[in-house]
Amino acid sequence: MIAGLNLPLDFATPWALLLLPLAVLPLLRRRREELTFSSLAWLPKDRLGIWVERIGRAAAVIAILATVLALASPGRPEWEVDRIGRGAEIVVLFDSSLSMDDEMLARGAHPKRRRDSPLRKRNVARQALSAFVERRPADRFSLLMFGAAPFRVTPFSQSPDVIQAGITAAGISNGLPGTDLGRGLMAAIEQFNGRAYTGSRVILLVSDGAAEIDEITRQNIRNGMRQNRIALNWIYLRSVNWPRLDSEKEPEAVGLITDVAMHRFFKTLPTTYKVYEAESPDAVSKAVAEIERAQNLPLEYKERIPRRDFTPYFYLTAILACLGLLAHRATTVRSFSR
Amino acid sequence: MASPARDFYYRLPMRAGSQRPGSHPGTSHGNGQEFVTHATLFSRPDPRRLDVRASLRDVRGDWLVRVMRQRVGIPVWLAADVSASMVFGESRTKLAVLSDLARAIGASASRVGDAAGMVAFDSHEREDLQVPPSMSRGIGHLMAAALDDPQLAAQADVGERHAGNPVDGLAAALRQLAGRQCLVFLASDFHFPLARLDEALDPLSRAYIVPVIIWDPAEIEPPPLNGLASLRDAESATRSAIWLRPSLRAQWREAVAERRATLAAFFANRGLRPFWVQGAFDADAMSEYFFEANA
Repeated sequence: MIAGLNLPLDFATPWALLLLPLAVLPLLRRRREELTFSSLAWLPKDRLGIWVERIGRAAAVIAILATVLALASPGRPEWEVDRIGRGAEIVVLFDSSLSMDDEMLARGAHPKRRRDSPLRKRNVARQALSAFVERRPADRFSLLMFGAAPFRVTPFSQSPDVIQAGITAAGISNGLPGTDLGRGLMAAIEQFNGRAYTGSRVILLVSDGAAEIDEITRQNIRNGMRQNRIALNWIYLRSVNWPRLDSEKEPEAVGLITDVAMHRFFKTLPTTYKVYEAESPDAVSKAVAEIERAQNLPLEYKERIPRRDFTPYFYLTAILACLGLLAHRATTVRSFSR
Repeated sequence: MASPARDFYYRLPMRAGSQRPGSHPGTSHGNGQEFVTHATLFSRPDPRRLDVRASLRDVRGDWLVRVMRQRVGIPVWLAADVSASMVFGESRTKLAVLSDLARAIGASASRVGDAAGMVAFDSHEREDLQVPPSMSRGIGHLMAAALDDPQLAAQADVGERHAGNPVDGLAAALRQLAGRQCLVFLASDFHFPLARLDEALDPLSRAYIVPVIIWDPAEIEPPPLNGLASLRDAESATRSAIWLRPSLRAQWREAVAERRATLAAFFANRGLRPFWVQGAFDADAMSEYFFEANA
């Protein structure tokens, strides 16, 4: 829309432009403003005077023009710029269930639920995410949390402050009861609805466990993932003593565990799916770093720049022109009398 | 604004031929104080003028009578410029000053037994303002009334373009005075090119012309205030602007002095002496002008 020199202008109240012909008024000279002299031929020609006169006349024209244009409220219309960023559009789907308050401990220790412990899964994940977001300023993040129901913390945004605040907010409450992963995933998919596809899209699921998803929801998820071309990354904060998702041993028995069942379902999704299992804070960081490497494609997107109103500038011009006019009038000699 | 008619002394500084007795030196013989010659009573049978002493001395023994020159009355004309530039003046317009002059001329002429009349011109001859010469006492007021007509000022104010050269109007107006022996007061501000003025004055070869140059103080002296003045020419309606400042005032005065010198030189070439009127008509100054002319 904006190309080089031709600056587009639009007017909020264009009918005011009908008054534009008024600007011709100062050019129509009136006898009252002039001193009649018997013979100009014998007066010296004064270029200074002629120019002062012209400047005064121009100030009057400019004052009227600027006022009329200001009444029409000119502005640069809303426009979009194409921007290219490296990275992706990432929806962080953050499990906020009660189990996320458990501590991540080495094998054999008993997990405790202590508030403010930096080892709580929730906090470990938040720290890793926070660092992740900080390192990727070009990505657009949206943060969703889910317990029994999903809720959006921040919409898609590139502002680091917003995202960091969202991540901080994820650590404030205690865990929510219930884990409805199906609704969470559907909400995450809906985040992409109606958005132009400008680069790779990722749902980053941060969870320590899954829940059963019924067949209808599965189908919906499958369709949504395909339509919106979303990749799924799952940071699986594995609890102590839980089996690995791709456990070779006893596939049938392990298949009864919901996490593994989900893993198997995710594998059937039409789009990319990757799981990062982590059972310690270090492992979480490592998983995030791995995602970072993977999702480093250039992202092309449009940024909307809101309408800029130029009205104050025009009023300022009018005021300056009026000041010039006042000065012009103040210095004008009105009669020959002394 | 009618001012009392101040009359002034004037005599034609040359002899005029006229049948009408008056007060100017004439060429015709008749009643008068100026002795010319003796003539025999037979050729001039006027025993009242019998010169006994001359008759006794005469060798032929004729009766001689004195022959005297009669003083004559002449028509006095006012050629009045009524162009738009005359409708200008700081306190009184130049046209008002001109009407004072007309009143004074009428009063003076009727005192000495001359007829007074007026022709007027702008860029054309103004026949509507013409006043035929008359010995009537009120002739001055008649002329002044024609000049005081507010319609003249209105015409100038509306900006009626007088596209032509006032010299054309002047020439046309003076044509009816061509060759007559008379006194002509040519009253104008002379804000026009002098190139063809010579030509216009040539037909008045036998008349005695008094150029009356009427200027307003506002024309001669620039306004004392500094600042911008948007100006409009009264005649051509062209526009200009000047920024009044000391250096410009000096130029202004210089231009006035230059114009004055140009006009004086122009009339001196024709053997005329202009009479300057600045702001108000001074009858005593006019009397002095004629004293000097007759000296």
